[in-house]
Amino acid sequence: MTILMPEPDQSVLARRDEIIAALRRIVPGEGVISSAAEMKPYESDGLMAYRQPPMVVVLPSTTKQVSEVLRYCHQNGIKVVPRGSGTSLSGGALPLADGVLLGLGKFKRIREIDFDNRAVVVEPGVTNLAISQAVDHAGFYYAPDPSSQIACSIGGNIAENSGGVHCLKYGMTTNNVLGCEIVLMTGEILRIGGKAAECAGYDLMGVITGSEGLLGVITEVTVRILRKPETARALMIGFQSVEAAGQCVADVISAGIIPGGMEMMDKPAIHAAEAFVHAGYPLDVEALLIIELDGPQVEVDELIGRVEAIALQCGSTTCQISTSEQQRLLFWSGRKAAFPAVGRISPDYLCMDGTIPRAQLPLVLRRMNEMSEKYGLRVANVFHAGDGNLHPLILYDANKPGEQDAAEAFGADILRLCVEVGGVLTGEHGVGIEKRDLMPEMFSDIDLNQQQRLKCAFDSEGLLNPGKVFPTLHRCAELGRMHVHKGQLPFPDIPRF
Amino acid sequence: MDTLKVRDAQEVEDAVRAAIANEQPIEIVGHGGKRTIGQPMATNAVLELSALNAVAAYEPNELIITVQAGAPMADVLSLIDSKNQHFAFEPMDTATLLGTAPGAGTVAGMIGAGLAGPRRIKAGGARDHLLGAHAVSGFGESFKAGGKVVKNVTGYDLCKLLAGSWGTLAVMTEVTLKVTPRPESERTLVLRGLGDVVANKAMTTALGSPYDVTGAAHLPGSALRTTAGALAEIAQPDQALTLLRLEGITSSASHRAQSLRAALKSFGDAELIEDEASAALWRAVRDVEPFAASGPRALWPVWRIVCPPAAGGAFGEQLARESGGEVMYDWGGGLIWAALPPAADGHAKALRQRVEKIAGHATLIRGSDVVRAAIDVFHPQPAGLAALGDRVKRSFDPTNILNRGRMSRGSAT
Ligand SMILES: Cc1cc2nc3c(=O)[nH]c(=O)nc-3n(C[C@H](O)[C@H](O)[C@H](O)COP(=O)(O)OP(=O)(O)OC[C@H]3O[C@@H](n4cnc5c(N)ncnc54)[C@H](O)[C@@H]3O)c2cc1C
Ligand SMILES: Cc1cc2nc3c(=O)[nH]c(=O)nc-3n(C[C@H](O)[C@H](O)[C@H](O)COP(=O)(O)OP(=O)(O)OC[C@H]3O[C@@H](n4cnc5c(N)ncnc54)[C@H](O)[C@@H]3O)c2cc1C
Repeated sequence: MTILMPEPDQSVLARRDEIIAALRRIVPGEGVISSAAEMKPYESDGLMAYRQPPMVVVLPSTTKQVSEVLRYCHQNGIKVVPRGSGTSLSGGALPLADGVLLGLGKFKRIREIDFDNRAVVVEPGVTNLAISQAVDHAGFYYAPDPSSQIACSIGGNIAENSGGVHCLKYGMTTNNVLGCEIVLMTGEILRIGGKAAECAGYDLMGVITGSEGLLGVITEVTVRILRKPETARALMIGFQSVEAAGQCVADVISAGIIPGGMEMMDKPAIHAAEAFVHAGYPLDVEALLIIELDGPQVEVDELIGRVEAIALQCGSTTCQISTSEQQRLLFWSGRKAAFPAVGRISPDYLCMDGTIPRAQLPLVLRRMNEMSEKYGLRVANVFHAGDGNLHPLILYDANKPGEQDAAEAFGADILRLCVEVGGVLTGEHGVGIEKRDLMPEMFSDIDLNQQQRLKCAFDSEGLLNPGKVFPTLHRCAELGRMHVHKGQLPFPDIPRF
Repeated sequence: MDTLKVRDAQEVEDAVRAAIANEQPIEIVGHGGKRTIGQPMATNAVLELSALNAVAAYEPNELIITVQAGAPMADVLSLIDSKNQHFAFEPMDTATLLGTAPGAGTVAGMIGAGLAGPRRIKAGGARDHLLGAHAVSGFGESFKAGGKVVKNVTGYDLCKLLAGSWGTLAVMTEVTLKVTPRPESERTLVLRGLGDVVANKAMTTALGSPYDVTGAAHLPGSALRTTAGALAEIAQPDQALTLLRLEGITSSASHRAQSLRAALKSFGDAELIEDEASAALWRAVRDVEPFAASGPRALWPVWRIVCPPAAGGAFGEQLARESGGEVMYDWGGGLIWAALPPAADGHAKALRQRVEKIAGHATLIRGSDVVRAAIDVFHPQPAGLAALGDRVKRSFDPTNILNRGRMSRGSAT
């Protein structure tokens, strides 16, 4: 492991038996897992290079139990790591050796479907896809669609502010959540928002979304559902250069068109995907765009024509337009299978996730190729072209000495580059442990302190998911200090009116 | 009253530090157009941001604009309009309702207030479009939140807290907002003479349809009686109007308008109003023109009530009946504007008791100093949430130096 986690508290580990007994009193039966073998599946999340068995796994099934577990842990100085389905790609749900892993997998009920208010109330362990399936019969769906949607939980989506190919047009999780029930580390249960469009007071829902399990444990969620668009069609467009494809994306947007999805793949990704799913991708192009238009039939038909014309102007060499639902899905099949496809051509790969201003794309790809040579590792690129969210896949072999370290160093360089060109460290996968130590690339100490002060407002002892997101842990008291120099002349040269 | 007109971010930082050192609470203003919203404050120093008025960067192709906090709304709106773009959340211009100078207002003032217009149901609010900010906290420190790209989950989303915080957490110095293409055309369907509850059903039906409705408002006949402008032009005496908006490329908007008209047949035969005439109607709804400060209800307190949309009609109808006031509905019933006859507490107690039963909340947007001093202008929160809100405030502004007491009486915020 190259990323250091907080030093385990020996005094807590020494009390392990007593702690487990106390937790069993709160969550009876199979809800507490403490044998090494049974805890194995919880050792890591989707960032599988990092593993750590927790001290104990607790699987509550009611909010009351969550509250009592947290209160007990708070009173006894025990750390807690919340976990949904464990698909995080940034290590957000990585357990701590001296911590309780709090799994929300038993919170599986859809509590209420309210079509009149276009809202659904669910427990956090419900999968993203299950929400859409529950309202499908009435022609509705839940818009954010991470590729992991069959597995990932809505609670995890909120903690990560997840997105998917639809988020250019329909927003991320934060734009589609109305309210939640949250349990603070003290055990206090709070309700924020509900079926109304806005909550009173500060927008706490907005800051809980994307907080990576550091502010509280989400035990219920109210999401907004949308009516399904009448139809969707996709274009598959090949270009001889990444620049031309990038220009096409920019021109589509400046023509006032916001597609339902706009994805790009580079040559290595196209080849890997084609070999895997035989989607009919052209193999002689440098970049492939898949652009999907959704909405009423007349609109989609007209916009398809407009996009095709723009692509031609940008020098597209191939352009196919789906004429059936089957063909549309075929176009997508390669893009959606891009990760496993790359998995087939390399023993291991690292999936990076950064966002850049789209205009910087050619420069970033060129620099990535240079880095690829420097590190001697291949890289394949798939990305959400519409919003500049890159997913470079760095191919390596963990069995070859030094390759994992090289891959990680390469990945870090890519993320630094994203920040350097005006972008950010993560567009959808979160900071977790993976990008934790890179946070100073983007934020100053002051910026990070301000974020940690907010953490203190929710969790004054820093017991919830410590070691994630922030490279340095501060005590709340020390963050509260103010550094003002008395006696300085109050604004001598500011004009007064 | 001392007014400090700062010219750059450093001066903002200096000013806040000095205020902390002198234990002098400061009021934060852009153009000050919304100073009458919130609890009356007892500060006698004003920090004015209007000189920070530059557009730092506008990248139409990236869908973002970065401006200094005090940039005038009017300039920014016309700049993005020149590239056929807009702020999709359709922020309201409060000048009509509050009787302040027209054509004023700053970008940070808009974000601080966090008020969104009719397109809220589709496009979200100011909070959904604020991508990044530079701000000075009550620690006297400049910090940055968010970024300058449309997709970003790096660290806590502090921008969400800044939007709608009424200047109580930090002084924004620069903000980055998402812009989106302006729809090519718009159509409004007008249904006439529906009661509030039936109109609410019509709006619910429209919003649950696949026709992508971007505005659903209902104006009871009595609320329209004294209005002027676009709404007056299409109104008949004492006849309610229900408006449904469709936007997008022309062929699509027209097509959907026809489909929606058919779907709403049981509510009546809808008239169709197009393009600029339609836009004028929605500006009037957005800016709550029926309750204009220049109109006969100038002295009536005006409440902004947010509730689950389907509950709006029944709630509003009863409220109007029992209080003798007027209401109008936006967001498919999820936003009720209520102008109520003058009363010592502006009807706060009765209104809130009732609105809480439908899981809504109410904010007094227009009210005399006396009424605002007597009541909670912002909806009081349950104890646990209020305490968390106070801790959040302190985590940004430990000595309560910024807009002290604006959002909540007698507590930190
Ligand atoms: C193949 C694959 C494809 C993916 N594609 C995408 C994609 O397209 N877009 C995208 O955004 N992400 C994607 N992801 C990442 C991942 O699926 C998402 O981040 C997802 O939201 C995580 O949900 P989860 O339930 O698995 O959470 P976990 O992995 O269990 O947890 C993630 C974080 O959330 C916290 N958490 C979980 N539940 C709660 C709760 N109830 N209360 C408080 N905190 C909680 C955890 O502490 C942790 O920090 C992908 C992952 C995989 C493996
Ligand atoms: C032509 C035109 C069209 C308009 N259209 C719209 C429109 O569509 N949508 C819209 O919203 N507005 C529109 N406005 C203006 C708008 O209604 C508001 O009046 C305006 O944005 C409020 O700004 P202000 O500077 O007057 O607010 P102020 O009253 O100065 O401030 C409002 C709140 O924000 C806080 N605040 C102000 N500046 C800061 C800062 N730098 N940091 C932190 N907090 C701060 C204040 O403390 C206060 O609580 C329009 C204005 C014009 C001229």
